[in-house]
Amino acid sequence: MSTTAVQPVADERLANIGLGARLLRRPEVGSLLGALVICVFFWVTTDSFGTLSGIANWTDVASTLGIMSVAVALLMIGGEFDLSAGVMTGTTGLLMGLLTTEWGLSMWPAIVLTFVFAAGIGFLNGIMVIKTKLPSFIVTLATFFVLQGINLGVTKAITGTVRVAGLGDVPGYDSASKLFSSTLWAPHNFRISVIWWIAIAALATWVLSRTRPGNWIFAVGGDPNAARNVGVPVARVKIALFMTTSICAALVGIIVALRLSSVQAGQGVGEEFTYIIAAVVGGCLLTGGYGSAIGASFGALIVGMAFIGISFSGWNTDWRFLFLGVILLLAVLVNNLVRHRAEGARR
Amino acid sequence: MRQLRYALLAVLMVLGLAAFAAACGGDDDGDDASSEGAPTTKDDVDLTQGQDVTIAMVTHGDGGSFWAVAKKGAEDGAKQMGVTLKYSESNNDPQKQAQMIDAAVTDKVDGLAVSAPNPDAIRDSVKKAVDAGIPVITLNSGAEDFADMGAMTHVGQTETIAGEGAGAKFKEAGAKKLLCVIHEQSNIGLNQRCDGAKTGFGGEVENLQVKGTDDISTTLTEIQSKLQSDNSIDAVLALNPDIAVAARDAVKGAGSSAKLATFDLSGDVVQAIQDGEIEFAVDQQQYLQGYLPVVFLTLNKTNANTVGGGQPVLTGPGFVTKDNAETVAQLAKDGTR
Amino acid sequence: MTATDGQSPLLEVRGVSKYFGNVIALKDISLAVKAGEVTCVLGDNGAGKSSFIKILSGVHGHDEGELLVEGETVRFKSPREARERGIATVFQDLATVPLMSVWRNFFLGSEPTVGKGPLRRIDVKFAQETMREEMRKMGIDVRDPDQPVGTLSGGERQAVSIARAVYFGAKVLILDEPTSALGVKQSGVVLRYVVQARERGLGVIFITHNPHHAYPVGDRFVILNRGRLLGDWRRGEITRDHLVTQMSGGAELDQLTHELESQLEAT
Repeated sequence: MSTTAVQPVADERLANIGLGARLLRRPEVGSLLGALVICVFFWVTTDSFGTLSGIANWTDVASTLGIMSVAVALLMIGGEFDLSAGVMTGTTGLLMGLLTTEWGLSMWPAIVLTFVFAAGIGFLNGIMVIKTKLPSFIVTLATFFVLQGINLGVTKAITGTVRVAGLGDVPGYDSASKLFSSTLWAPHNFRISVIWWIAIAALATWVLSRTRPGNWIFAVGGDPNAARNVGVPVARVKIALFMTTSICAALVGIIVALRLSSVQAGQGVGEEFTYIIAAVVGGCLLTGGYGSAIGASFGALIVGMAFIGISFSGWNTDWRFLFLGVILLLAVLVNNLVRHRAEGARR
Repeated sequence: MRQLRYALLAVLMVLGLAAFAAACGGDDDGDDASSEGAPTTKDDVDLTQGQDVTIAMVTHGDGGSFWAVAKKGAEDGAKQMGVTLKYSESNNDPQKQAQMIDAAVTDKVDGLAVSAPNPDAIRDSVKKAVDAGIPVITLNSGAEDFADMGAMTHVGQTETIAGEGAGAKFKEAGAKKLLCVIHEQSNIGLNQRCDGAKTGFGGEVENLQVKGTDDISTTLTEIQSKLQSDNSIDAVLALNPDIAVAARDAVKGAGSSAKLATFDLSGDVVQAIQDGEIEFAVDQQQYLQGYLPVVFLTLNKTNANTVGGGQPVLTGPGFVTKDNAETVAQLAKDGTR
Repeated sequence: MTATDGQSPLLEVRGVSKYFGNVIALKDISLAVKAGEVTCVLGDNGAGKSSFIKILSGVHGHDEGELLVEGETVRFKSPREARERGIATVFQDLATVPLMSVWRNFFLGSEPTVGKGPLRRIDVKFAQETMREEMRKMGIDVRDPDQPVGTLSGGERQAVSIARAVYFGAKVLILDEPTSALGVKQSGVVLRYVVQARERGLGVIFITHNPHHAYPVGDRFVILNRGRLLGDWRRGEITRDHLVTQMSGGAELDQLTHELESQLEAT
């Protein structure tokens, strides 16, 4: 039986891609450059930014932002949004606060229940998006309003005020704080949330780039129909991503609640867009299927560095948001520019 | 190639902008004053005596008209004392406020002034400041906790007492049902004002949660709907000057005859008092809340003075009514009342 | 090319019908696909081709008739089941994710792994090398392992899907309008892949509305028209022109041409 032997045709349009170009094509490029620029800028123009204590300050701000940005980035790569992510950090903190100060649980059982509750909300978000086939932007916006109302209403109804306080007196507080909200290396006082953040970012990066579910996440965000056609369990992946986001929100809620020994009813409202911005700066496409957990971490780092850097500079704080906005815009532009050049001709 | 050039241009623009902002920010911090050592009259002593003093003020402010006056007080105080002021506000986020206080400690400032609407949240950070030898003064909120937190004194007005005063004044005017408008979801002090008003008023008091200073038009609608749906309300108490203006419009819009009063001043509020649209304003004189801590902390650093004797320094309640409104009006337009 | 008479067909439909409400999408379709043969299913738009594919690939169930795989009656509950039985479908939208790299697309859903438990990870080296090898067999040298599929040409993307199907042990390859969105040269390249797949022993169903593409590669030709089988010919039993005529309405078109010609003559 004769075979029509086909000679491999070297595509003359495909020049050899050097290592440099391949690195520049990575989604994290823009955010890394942005972070470097800001870091150098504040390091040079202020006294405190480059000190160990200063580094502890801006990694502190970046850490809780970073945990959520990584989770939100994973979800965005999977093609969905969660606008309730910010307010969830409040809901979970408040739940833990009420379980302990109002209903007498000690800290650790309350923490476990809080995580379970968060997983449940994440599951609900996911199921609603799958079943209603509505954009997740809309569905989670509804969740956002519901949670915002519950946060305020329940807190006021039970405590009569707008916050839950007194967590410091709850049995188990000390051991829980040690794990979630303690500081390391006095007198510089690096927060342990930074370690949580690095661990979560590392885990997310490994999952995305080296595991089967990671491959599925990219596929589900890039083209869910194509993914379904080859047997990827699209619904399960998306629901898992929503649950991951909510569980990370619980982690952040617990960290903050233990740090401040109190939780305010309005906590987290408005932060959801900061997470999305950090993810986009880090290379995530709003349309899904592309992005990076490391990039989102750099995005969070940019926000943290700008926040503390401006404090150290003593600038008029009215300019704070202008500066932040310009830097973030630049990071996204650099991302696009560098990626276009590195990819060369596209069809 | 062209794209790369545009990118470089953009980077240069940003750095230029940053330098510009730094220059602007620098002026406000009184750098000129301290470098020249410029006193206001030739009789004044240069209090800093050649030292470079930096005072950090970290409030929970939201950039609205109330905190703008407090900030002006702090800036004026810094200019007159010849010190550098680093002012930051957390927009009601206690975690951010704690982080900004930590930054001030890292920055080794010479004095720290903080507002404490949620003392538990910033307790640890304030303690670090105290342990580092930085004198701390609380302002605006936290009157009950300042000593516990290690602060030298508290500069402000106690919310509950001020609220009682307001409630009593409404009672004097013969009102029967009071609507208390709360505009900040998580501000304990505001709730205390309404609670105090209830005590002082003695009659029926209802609290109304509104959107807030970020969205005045929604707030207006919320107040107006409430007034339209319940016409037994004959007194309205706002807790912020921007909210008071919205309430004034809401009262007009609802065709209500309710008497309106507010906490805190603004140019519009004073004008409204002169026009008879607002009965009175409870003035906590937030200019002093910015000004005095800067002065006290500087004196503590340079002259080892401690103020207060363990007690708070009260800046209110002062009442602005039709009688003294005109005087205050001019000052409010300058942004100092 | 050897005939495979006497062997049971890889895939067969007998009297299959499909209704959507009261719309008859397919009526009484019978067709057998044998290994090493290309069956061209021709038809204009609306003829029922897509319903037909969906039944074969497990997306829809049939309402009447029988579906047999290697002589065994089956009813697919999902596309995954069909795939597992060796029926690979390359849809018009190519079932590839443009932003992902070629090797990730190639192994999507069946990623090779090493390690156990939480340390179970994709064997990237194996995946990349295998992908390059399989693509080389299709005549394409993919030099950059992380090149996104979206940067490949239309024909090359088809090659990825076909190579993937072949590699994962497809017995039947269903190609849904593979040349419709391509230029002349690319279409030629794809037709070569079709022949290659046949050479490797697969049964190929080539769905198209372009008889000029079908004619060179088909061993059998069936025409669908308004949900019914209009005709069924082996290679050699029909000329290309006749195929075109049959497809484009046949007798009706003849009559129209006749009328127009007489009008022209009259003027």
